[in-house]
Amino acid sequence: MDIDVGPIFRAMLRHKVKFGLIIVEIALTVAIMANSASMILQARRDLRIPSGFDDENLVSVVGRPLDRSLTDQTRINEMLREDREKVRAMPGVRAVVNTYMVPWSSYSMSTNLVQAEGGSGEFLRVQMYSTDEGLLDALQVSLIEGRMFTTEEIDESTRRLYAAEMSERKPDGTLKITFDTDVIVSEAFARRAFGEPPWVGRTFVESDGSRSRVTGVIDHFYKPYIDKHSPVSGYVSFHPYRSANPHVTARFLVRTEPGRAAEVADALPARLFRPDLPREIKAKTISYIHTMYFGPQRLVAGSMAVVNVLLVLVTALGVAGLTSFSVTERTRQIGTRRALGATAGVIVRYFLIETSLVTSTGLALGAVFAVALNLAVTSMIEGQAKLDFAFLVFSMVLLWFVGLVSAISPAMRGARISPAVATRNI
Amino acid sequence: MFGYHLKMVAHSLRRSPGYALLVMAGVALGVAVATMFSTVRHTYAKDPVPSKSSVLYYVRLNAWDPVLPHENGIPPMVTYMDATAITKSSIPVRQSPMFSSELIVSRDDDRSHPKRESARPCFGDFFAMFNVPFKYGAAWDRKADEGLEPVAVLNEGLNERLFGGADSVGKRLLIDGRTFRIVGVLDRWSPTIRAYDLTVVDKATAPPESIYIPFHFLRPMQLRSAGSFQGWKVEPAPGYEGVLASEDTWLQVWVELPNVEAVDSYKRFLDEYAMGQRKVGRFLARMDNRVTPLLDWMMERQGIPPETDAMTLVAVLFFVVCSMNLMGVLMAKFLARAPQIGVQRALGASKRDIFLQLVLECEIIAVAGGIAGVLLAALALIGVNHYAEDIFYRDDLFHIDWSMLWFAIVSSLVAGLIAGVYPAYRICRVPPSVYLRLQ
Repeated sequence: MDIDVGPIFRAMLRHKVKFGLIIVEIALTVAIMANSASMILQARRDLRIPSGFDDENLVSVVGRPLDRSLTDQTRINEMLREDREKVRAMPGVRAVVNTYMVPWSSYSMSTNLVQAEGGSGEFLRVQMYSTDEGLLDALQVSLIEGRMFTTEEIDESTRRLYAAEMSERKPDGTLKITFDTDVIVSEAFARRAFGEPPWVGRTFVESDGSRSRVTGVIDHFYKPYIDKHSPVSGYVSFHPYRSANPHVTARFLVRTEPGRAAEVADALPARLFRPDLPREIKAKTISYIHTMYFGPQRLVAGSMAVVNVLLVLVTALGVAGLTSFSVTERTRQIGTRRALGATAGVIVRYFLIETSLVTSTGLALGAVFAVALNLAVTSMIEGQAKLDFAFLVFSMVLLWFVGLVSAISPAMRGARISPAVATRNI
Repeated sequence: MFGYHLKMVAHSLRRSPGYALLVMAGVALGVAVATMFSTVRHTYAKDPVPSKSSVLYYVRLNAWDPVLPHENGIPPMVTYMDATAITKSSIPVRQSPMFSSELIVSRDDDRSHPKRESARPCFGDFFAMFNVPFKYGAAWDRKADEGLEPVAVLNEGLNERLFGGADSVGKRLLIDGRTFRIVGVLDRWSPTIRAYDLTVVDKATAPPESIYIPFHFLRPMQLRSAGSFQGWKVEPAPGYEGVLASEDTWLQVWVELPNVEAVDSYKRFLDEYAMGQRKVGRFLARMDNRVTPLLDWMMERQGIPPETDAMTLVAVLFFVVCSMNLMGVLMAKFLARAPQIGVQRALGASKRDIFLQLVLECEIIAVAGGIAGVLLAALALIGVNHYAEDIFYRDDLFHIDWSMLWFAIVSSLVAGLIAGVYPAYRICRVPPSVYLRLQ
């Protein structure tokens, strides 16, 4: 190793602009890559948040009448029961629940402020959904306390709720019939509202004055996480109520045998066809709904990934171009050195060392740029992750290799320059 | 002189088209990425109704619970009671209450396949307010709103599905069991952001509704909201009439106010209305009624997704990297041309001539690259649109408009400057004698 870095470095100083350019370019590349990596991973983390349900094997189906003739609630409830049995009997179906809760759909969230009685007195927002007997089996959640509603309770509660809705009001505008409803809540909510167990029998009051009493507690709802873009959280209360009305006569969440969700979703519209009532039947797999829910994140991650690949290619071309230019500029110098006994290896090494010096300087500057860019990005996006040191190091190592590999081919060309060149055009 | 420069540029491009293509490709790549991401951002930021946005105002009233304030401060929509009361005002030039709903629609002469269609009950003023283009017929007039005439306006897509795109004005539809007469068919209309209804935030990019009927039909037809619906108090009566008489908020009200005076007097009108309602026991929360300009409402409610800002920043940096890369290529290229430049200098060309000629050459190549870049960006956006159809409910959300085209051309000129100025400056300072000796 008879090459000294000193002369190489001093030679570089005589071409400040040429090398300065590529240094800044590499620095920018490092900055963009490290920051994009954290953005991409942020998006991927969102995508991988488990819902806590068996998303892969769940299907949501909704049936809406195509005429307004059906108004008799008794008939509607009969239809709901018939439809439920039809779905339950389908090949590939494991469980059915009549509820308006659909995982990952941001639409059917009906939240209200509630206050636990004998609790901390704080107002909480909790998702409220209806459910029938199929809840535990369809969502695959289990009770850690209390029990599930019975069929009689669900029928009775449905009747009372409907009667209350249709009843006359008091002069002050409140319901004449007041009643406690039974609810099944998630453990996360119970713990937040009431503190330590036991929770069965505890009550909370909604802002409109209606009271709910805990019958059972399920081990989880959504895996709770905090995200300002998403209203999904682990707080839920399920009320025993068969939800069907003249506008929506069928509404089910269906759990299928593993891998048969798409097939069941395709078969559902024909299955729920009724000659006596034209309906629009929409069946979607929860996997599809989940994909749509996180669509924007996927777009961000995808486009960022593409830009980064292009960026590395462009930078590689830049390094190759620079080395190639250096070789062309010094054709006669190289020829002279070869004539004076330098081996091809010495020439290649010279250029690779030059490139390493350039990339290393660029990488050092890039670390500074990366932090600056991250400050800019985090000030734009709330909740955007801080720059992860690991991504920075990874980007730097990758680029160092890319730089070196890009320089090899032009350096080899330099090594092939014949010593005879030195004798021409003096 | 300029003509001579052009000739020289053409000559050198013919001699070495390879390097020109390389520079073009570099500029094209940088411009394509920058244009694409800027277009995405621009889609969320741009004025959806440029000719009218300065005179359209969104109305909000604070008739919410006096005990627990609404999470947005005041509710984003108004009650039926308030919407019907305030739209009787004569201050606005035009006005309309509205909401999104669903209607069961079929041709009156072929009732075999009814379909649920997205609908918007509104006043006839709505179309003029939001500059909605008509292909056949026109909007209904105020008489139709007041007299509850069964008239309807279809959008282009529904007219295509029902009548094969023919002029269907005068034809009849069966809507929720009632017969309506078609008075107008919309022309192609796809505003980027559906500014007139931002109540469901992630539906802001959805295409406009398929069918429009006079607002007051909601009562006899008992139309429900297909969008957001928020309440805080038990309805005073059961059923649909109970909803109409309740504090449930689910309607949007837009007014067109031509000048500042009109805005002021309309605000006064709203406050007086609210004070009047206090006498009957409503509006007990703090007095806060707002008349918000369209663009302000858009930014308050929807804003520009912060991710698009970050992505645009990254795209601009990428563009800079691409341009810097080309500087190296041009340095090498111009240096190789030094002998020829030496001859030109010896024959009397000034430094300035050489400099201009070289920069001109760069800019010509760069603009060609920019044009290629726009085409590339347009192709990429078609891909994104197609991929994101299910997310945004449409496949034409992102497209390059004039402002983005200018952005791309200006970017490519900037790229040409970044890449070309320094090499041109370096090479035009070369003393002619050095290179003449080598000939």
